[in-house]
Amino acid sequence: MTLTKHVKLACLFLLILIFSVTAEIAGLTALSLKNDLTNGSISQTDGGFCPAKGGTLVVIHFGDPKSFNPDAVADDPLYPVASQIFNKLVTLDANYNVIPDLAESWEVSPNASVYVFHLRKNVKWHDGVPLTCKDVKYTFLAMKNFTGVAAGLLNLNLLKSVECQDDYTVVFKFSQPNAPFLSFVAWYGTFILPEHIYNKTEYTNWMDPKIPALSKPVGTGPFKFVEYVKGSHIILEANKDYFKEGLPCLDRIVFKIVPDAVAAEQTFIAEGDVLLTTPPLTDLPKLNATPGVVVRTYPTPSRWFLAFNMLRDLTRNKDFRFAIAYALNRTDILYRAFSGFGFVAKGMYVPSISWAYNPNAQPPEFNLEKANQILNSLGFKVGSDGFRTYPNGTRLTLKLVSFQTAEINAMSQVIKEQLRKVGIDVSIELLDLGTFQQKAYREKNFDIAITDGFWGPDPHNLYLRFGGGGHNLPGYNNTQFNDLAMKAATTGDTSRRKDLYWSLQEILAQELPIVPLIDVLGFDVYKAEWIGFDRDLPGKVGLGVYEAVWSKAKLTTTPVSITTTQTSISPTSSPITSTTQPTPTEGITTTATLAVLVIVIVIIAAAVFMYIRKK
Amino acid sequence: MSLVRHTSKKIAQGFFVIIISISIIFFLINLAPGDPIQFVAGDPIFLSKELVDYYRKMWGLDKPLYERFLIYLSNVFLRGDLGYSYRYSAPVIELIKERLPVTLLLTVVSNVLAFILGVALGLYASRKYTKLSDNLLSLVSFILNSTPTFLLGIVLMLAFSIHLKIFPVSGLIDVRNPKTGFMYYFDILYHSVLPIATLTFVLLPMYFKVVRDTALQQLGEDYVILCRAIGLDEGRIFKKHIFRNSILPPITLFMLQLGYSVAGAAITETVFGWPGVGRLLLDAIYQRDYPVILGVYLLVSISIVALSIIADLVYTILDPRIKTGGAS
Repeated sequence: MTLTKHVKLACLFLLILIFSVTAEIAGLTALSLKNDLTNGSISQTDGGFCPAKGGTLVVIHFGDPKSFNPDAVADDPLYPVASQIFNKLVTLDANYNVIPDLAESWEVSPNASVYVFHLRKNVKWHDGVPLTCKDVKYTFLAMKNFTGVAAGLLNLNLLKSVECQDDYTVVFKFSQPNAPFLSFVAWYGTFILPEHIYNKTEYTNWMDPKIPALSKPVGTGPFKFVEYVKGSHIILEANKDYFKEGLPCLDRIVFKIVPDAVAAEQTFIAEGDVLLTTPPLTDLPKLNATPGVVVRTYPTPSRWFLAFNMLRDLTRNKDFRFAIAYALNRTDILYRAFSGFGFVAKGMYVPSISWAYNPNAQPPEFNLEKANQILNSLGFKVGSDGFRTYPNGTRLTLKLVSFQTAEINAMSQVIKEQLRKVGIDVSIELLDLGTFQQKAYREKNFDIAITDGFWGPDPHNLYLRFGGGGHNLPGYNNTQFNDLAMKAATTGDTSRRKDLYWSLQEILAQELPIVPLIDVLGFDVYKAEWIGFDRDLPGKVGLGVYEAVWSKAKLTTTPVSITTTQTSISPTSSPITSTTQPTPTEGITTTATLAVLVIVIVIIAAAVFMYIRKK
Repeated sequence: MSLVRHTSKKIAQGFFVIIISISIIFFLINLAPGDPIQFVAGDPIFLSKELVDYYRKMWGLDKPLYERFLIYLSNVFLRGDLGYSYRYSAPVIELIKERLPVTLLLTVVSNVLAFILGVALGLYASRKYTKLSDNLLSLVSFILNSTPTFLLGIVLMLAFSIHLKIFPVSGLIDVRNPKTGFMYYFDILYHSVLPIATLTFVLLPMYFKVVRDTALQQLGEDYVILCRAIGLDEGRIFKKHIFRNSILPPITLFMLQLGYSVAGAAITETVFGWPGVGRLLLDAIYQRDYPVILGVYLLVSISIVALSIIADLVYTILDPRIKTGGAS
């Protein structure tokens, strides 16, 4: 007698439960972002200045590092930690410009084959040993010998010699010009390692488990390593002997590892200061509306793009590629797949690397008529079912290959729908990341593929993505393109390089081996109490380094001059345009109370109902 | 005597089961698409030929599959060496050892809690069959059973950590103000309340249902009617007879669950940022960290085999009717 009733009741109950939870998660707040730092910000005019000292910064972090050797393999979870512990020769600031780090100055020969770096003289490792040229030499030779992750990008196979002119002058000589070297040295996998710890004969390589620094890293950075509990947290403390006088401002940094997006967001609100785990994008307005939380958005050099398979007859046809590009409405993709969080990709290179970006080389704009016109002229007739067919009668179907994420799920559906409008059928195949890389990059088993990637820090990235090597997704092969790219990589003259990269982008716009889709929205999420992040101090602080971060809450005792600065962010278009009146966050507790009340009432009602029925 | 023979036979069988299951998994993960080297490089623009060759050679992936299989088996069973993790460049055995206590705290405690609560509530519900309390309990267990783990975890987190602020949101310890000594362990316990509660609620309905249904079945048996006819007190019938006869199925379940508990509870661990074996395994699968996947599965198969042997022994004690060595 009870089964159907149970089922009904349970369904009702579950519905209420799910409703209350989703309402909770959605926050029931209007989609509106507070103006960044509305109350004005206190600026450190000088990178070496702490208006207030002390405090612990709790960073909610997304994953476990693979090891504490930051140069061996690509290790995204290590990077935010390594940036505090180690230094590079030069580094990138928040605008992707190269700024000094361990090297206070450098010279590049006109043909970009000789690089001279002058090191700072007051740098000590965390164990007290001074840093010298020996450490730099060891690091780069180890990268070459043990195939560090950056070895390929740095072209270390062309490295003829790295010599110490004196303790504080390093000279790199390459057998061929190597212009992208400086940008790549500033980017990834190039932290300087302590020679006196790593370089011992009993170690087989730099990942030998016997090396103590692999579990307890020793660096030169603003923070020293204290403790790491796998899966739980990493603790760092201030390095009192840091070479930048007066820094860091903080006492401690704690990286708390919370990989789950929703849990990380809640942990951040409850007890965190900085959120590194990417929250669901649609939660950003809610986070921004949370009192005491700042969400700062900006464009990044990471880009989603659609690649054509240049090895297949159909997609090798340039007119066909243009037809697809005309059929894609990228604004529609941005709003439907990314809820508007991002930027419609402009140009064939990323605008955020501004010196190399060519605004004249643009992909085609959305134009259904042109798309249909081209497809008709190519002989693809529309059949009775609305789909186009080859002249021999088989249906025109494109195989779209990509990997599983929420964005790609949505994006591929939108693309399928858009191409349906010009009569092209799309079969979607979403794999896991490893399988995708194998199928798409190596086997080239696709018609069109969607992926994302970092296009900086140097436009040489264009050669990597469309020239030689295993990362050429479309399988594009154009001798003229390769020649120009090699020329650009072998000259030290920046304005000449710029001209060459501009022509490369023009070639890409004419040939269209890919369609740029969406530029990824970058965002910093942190508590308003904190200030002095990389984006507050462009040109002074390296990307993601917390050396100048300090707390307004600690300011009470020391009066300082307060200046209001305009945030230096100039997104190409505001990600969230529908700025309505910010609603106060009465939200969460009320919703919860309501939900609990409803549940209780339902339970009582159900109980009474059953009781009466039985009577 | 026959018990010893029976058990040693079971152990020998178990050994074969372990070898077979580990072989299946070895070939399965190696035949699955994807390549661990892709994950060393992250973004494909890092993938140079030198890098690929270097790591292939270092990990022995340049050798043919059958050769790698023989090397792996001899390393594991002759030298007790589970190999090195590709991702962490650390011995697999160390990685598992670090995380196992944390995982066992979570899984064993919640299994025991779910077992005890499930049996008690199941018996209670069967006694109150079709009464209000039975209906309510069945309803709740139905809902819990159909609620996904992550949803339940997040609901509990929102209710008790975010709104009521009784428990911490996630993690193993309070990293802002680390504790020492006794308070350190108390802190871990405090942080484990919600994850344990989540997992308990997830496991509970299974025990509840099994016990309730078995007890109801027992209620219709002749011996219960006889007991009632004699005029035995209902409470005594339940305590003495129905309880003993309804306890065997949940014990089987309990042992089976306990066998899996070394593999952790990946979803609960992920939701609560709990550094357990489940998360280790999940990450290893995503990143094609073959040695870690194999290591964890080896551990799981060993523990399942061991617990099924123990379960056999426990049966003979609980139910004298089960003859050891005989046909079941």
